[in-house]
Amino acid sequence: MLDLLVLLICASIVVSAALAVCLGGLLPAMISAGLASLFASACYVLLAAPDVAMAEASIGSGLSTLLFLYTIRRIGRTED
Amino acid sequence: MIEIALTVAATLIFLGILFAIIRLVIGPSGADRVAAIDLISIITISLIALYAHLSGRFIYLDVALIYGLLSFLAVLAIARYLERGL
Repeated sequence: MLDLLVLLICASIVVSAALAVCLGGLLPAMISAGLASLFASACYVLLAAPDVAMAEASIGSGLSTLLFLYTIRRIGRTED
Repeated sequence: MIEIALTVAATLIFLGILFAIIRLVIGPSGADRVAAIDLISIITISLIALYAHLSGRFIYLDVALIYGLLSFLAVLAIARYLERGL
């Protein structure tokens, strides 16, 4: 059952990374990149590394999304 | 009996993730996508809690706790971006 869970989570990482490339617009791409990081964090928990999962959830999903949003707002490019 | 219950729970969790990803793909506006990623975060917290029970290591519940706080932060940042406030 653990193998199946890890496999499904890894498939979700691949799907959300493909969505970050394929979806048009800046905001959907940023949301999908945060989603890939979120699934990677869940995958770390399932692979018995909870400290790496905490670091990934705080930096990858929280801080990285916030920095991307702040930068895109600062450079003044409207989303298309 | 408990194995059947856990299998059904995992199946429902992944069905929820699948439908939320469909909403993320077809969502016309940004608010739909923010709602979808919030939903996926909460479903992933339930997945981590399920796995904490499944493996018997209750230290994973702390990961689920931190996860809930930080997913709230990400959703808040996207909401501020949509309201032109960030």
